[in-house]
Amino acid sequence: MEKMNEKIQNIAKELLENKEVNLIIGFTKGSNPLRMRSVFITDPKDVSKLSFNSHCVQDLAVFLKKPEVKKFGKIGIVVKGCDEKAVNTLIQEYQLSRDNIKIIGLECHGVIKQNLADKGENSLNQSTVYDKCLSCEVHTPALYDYLVESDEQAFEINDNSIKPYAKIEELDLMTAEERNGFWQNEFEKCIKCYACRQVCPLCYCTRCIVEKNTPQWIETNIEETGNAQWNMIRAYHLSGRCIGCGECERACPVNIPLMLINEKMARDTFEKFGYKSGIDINAKPVFGTFDINDFNDFIK
Amino acid sequence: MARIGVFVCWCGSNIAGTVDVKRVAEEAAKIPGVVEAIDYKYMCSDPGQNAFRNMIKDKNLTGVVLAACSPHMHENTFRKAAIKEGLNPYFVEIANIREQVSWVHEDKGKATEKAIDLLKMMVEKVKRNKPIEDVRVPLTKKALVIGGGISGIQAALDIANGGVEVILVEKEPSIGGKMIQLDETFPTLDCSSCIMTPKMVEAYQHPNIKLYTYSELEDVSGYIGNFNVKIRKKARSIVEKDCTGCGDCWNVCPMHKNVKSEFNVNLSERTAIYVPFPQAVPLIPVIDRSVCLHYKKGGKCQKCYDACGPKCINFDLQDEIIEEKVGAIVAATGYDLMENSLYGEYGYGQFKDVVSGLQFERLLSASGPTEGVIKRPSDGKTPETIVFIQCVGSRDPEKGVPYCSKVCCMYTAKHAKLFAHKVHGSQSYVFYIDIRATSKGYEEFVRSTMENDGAIYLRGRVSKIYENDGKLIVKGADTLSGNQVEIAADMVVLATGVIPKKGSDKMAQMLGISYDKYGFYTESHPKLRPAESSTAGIYLAGMAQGPRDIPESVVSGSAAASKILGLFSKSEYEVEGTIASVNKTTCVGCFYCQRVCAYSAISKEEVKDRSGNVLKIVANVNSGLCTGCGACVNACFSKSIDVRGFMDEQIFAEIKSLAV
Repeated sequence: MEKMNEKIQNIAKELLENKEVNLIIGFTKGSNPLRMRSVFITDPKDVSKLSFNSHCVQDLAVFLKKPEVKKFGKIGIVVKGCDEKAVNTLIQEYQLSRDNIKIIGLECHGVIKQNLADKGENSLNQSTVYDKCLSCEVHTPALYDYLVESDEQAFEINDNSIKPYAKIEELDLMTAEERNGFWQNEFEKCIKCYACRQVCPLCYCTRCIVEKNTPQWIETNIEETGNAQWNMIRAYHLSGRCIGCGECERACPVNIPLMLINEKMARDTFEKFGYKSGIDINAKPVFGTFDINDFNDFIK
Repeated sequence: MARIGVFVCWCGSNIAGTVDVKRVAEEAAKIPGVVEAIDYKYMCSDPGQNAFRNMIKDKNLTGVVLAACSPHMHENTFRKAAIKEGLNPYFVEIANIREQVSWVHEDKGKATEKAIDLLKMMVEKVKRNKPIEDVRVPLTKKALVIGGGISGIQAALDIANGGVEVILVEKEPSIGGKMIQLDETFPTLDCSSCIMTPKMVEAYQHPNIKLYTYSELEDVSGYIGNFNVKIRKKARSIVEKDCTGCGDCWNVCPMHKNVKSEFNVNLSERTAIYVPFPQAVPLIPVIDRSVCLHYKKGGKCQKCYDACGPKCINFDLQDEIIEEKVGAIVAATGYDLMENSLYGEYGYGQFKDVVSGLQFERLLSASGPTEGVIKRPSDGKTPETIVFIQCVGSRDPEKGVPYCSKVCCMYTAKHAKLFAHKVHGSQSYVFYIDIRATSKGYEEFVRSTMENDGAIYLRGRVSKIYENDGKLIVKGADTLSGNQVEIAADMVVLATGVIPKKGSDKMAQMLGISYDKYGFYTESHPKLRPAESSTAGIYLAGMAQGPRDIPESVVSGSAAASKILGLFSKSEYEVEGTIASVNKTTCVGCFYCQRVCAYSAISKEEVKDRSGNVLKIVANVNSGLCTGCGACVNACFSKSIDVRGFMDEQIFAEIKSLAV
């Protein structure tokens, strides 16, 4: 990883020195050797803090929506392929100007599940990475200004029994009642902390629908209806938009498998409309597109 | 404190027959905020309206709810009555207990409960209503007519005669449309070009009409009163102002045998530089660059240029884009005929003497390829027996279209009649399904073709046509006698179905008007607003709306014109105030609203601080374009758009009134 870190540091240094950006958002070593955290660098002297390894689970694109970050104007960001899709979507949805962002794209083979890393796991393989890494189509980011190639070998896929988001197929086979039961069980745990929203790079509304109280569409107290309402509407607002970084699920303190909904929605969107989010900054988002050939068999 | 008045209308027995109106009124009186609730036999009658006005005045009402028929019917009536009593018209709400209750339910008990529920919802809504002012839009008093056929010309002339400037755009090199291709017209047999050419000339010379022929609409933006249109004036290769229409150019064109004449429906040839027909308006030729040797052979041929006296041929002319601002548009884009080749069994394209109805018109016409003498295309002989086949493509959901093309019964009768008049001793046979002759003088006309002109009408379909010894053998069924018939004919004429003009769907998309599954433009209301499209400021005329004959096309052209003159008689156009509005504080500018808006009503607006720094970019609604459809409301993740009069808060209160 040393070569990779050096490259990232050099690019960052150059960008800051040439005043092409005023801020670099990247990863740095955390207090624990198997935990990485975000770092914000404005001084070229500090670029040595920048680092990358397979514990860089965070989607740093989330910071691009913050006013504290936005005020820097031109920004450079270190991103994995999945996080970069969030950058694309932000550009697509007019939240970010392509001219104001320098994308330092990283070649990434996958990141190790944080809960395993916390127990000391440090090897990158099929059973230690996140599900999103198993089905990753952007080991090299779709869009970048600089590409930093990986020093490491990709892990081998040798166990065909491990399928990403396998639970989705299981849920699909359930009856509507069974499926509802499964989700009611999961949502029951929700404590409405909204960590899922805060960590999502695409939840950039300054007033979330849950905060609208004239009228109050979503019950804010913690009970069955309100919990289901919040989680379903969150998923719905991200369908056709979610880029699958998995931060919501990682941030959830009560372990609701939110990526199952997000991934299911993404699969449906692709199946029905042939659309994948975050790939093309000029694509028309599926939510805002009417095509005369769109399927309409749901209108009975 | 809300002071709501409630009126429950009986609508005679229409509502009172199925809904217990007394009970509805009693229940309404119990709703908090309702000061009085009465029932009345006919609220829309004069005494009913007076009771409505009196209660507003006497009880000092802040809102009114009528439980009555659909707001489509009388919302306007009562809004106007409210204005007279000084109440903002948007404080009148209607609970539809006729179309949504009495007409669709039988059980009086349940229907009454539902009526009470609907009324409760409206009371809760009206309590939260806010005064809304209608939006006034300035009007550019100039009209655009798309299509120079009879309906477009009629619309243009009527508007122009009303003192309003008109831009008439025609795709072809001449105006005249399909009508100028016809011979004589049913049921009076007046010659089409004799009645059409004066109209064409009048339109050309009218001081209020600016004519663009050989031109196409490139782009339309804006809204009622304020459309911006771009017209592509295709390069004719002729300096129009210098051309005298003498014809020296097309007489020397070497391409005289190579190009099929569109005007004569492929029955003759034209040159590369040509006017489509002698009475073309304007009488200015155009060079068809796809066949002209000058363009094809690198500029070698310039015979027309050499022959031209005023030297008005310029091979280098380019298309011009003309921008105009207009206040209203008429879409009169006309029609095409279906492809006859769909019906292989009739041998169109295979046998030269199987022709379409429009081709037969050209064979009858004095200005046609045979100068009005009926000659069959294969050998130029005058036919003695002709078989006419109706409903080729029409009323055929399997291979063609399910609808009736409306004009074929009549023009086939006319063809048979003219054939009898021109070729004495001839015989025509007409295969038909039904005869549709429903306008003034039509039935008599068809009768006379049968009785005076000896046309034999056979009810049935033709199964096969084949050639034998110079004759076309037509095999078909006469379903009335139950016999199979076989006719040896010299010619066969197919009454081909009418379809919308090619590209009419694209045109509708450009204009932002709706069209049906065939591509015909749809009216705002099929009965009561037949001249209006679904988009304000855009009107419809002619066959672009569906099959119709000449008198109907003329009427529709005039109807569109009268709507436009009516619109332009006011200084401003009033738009209902129930349009979308953006909460600029919470809007984050993702512009999904803009993406889903079918009316291009959303634009971007910069929010600045006092020093002029842009803080953020938010959505802005153009009140002239917004129709209040609410698509943007659904697309907005942060609920930052509401439609006035249908605010979230109101809808929510309506729903909540049922839950309690």
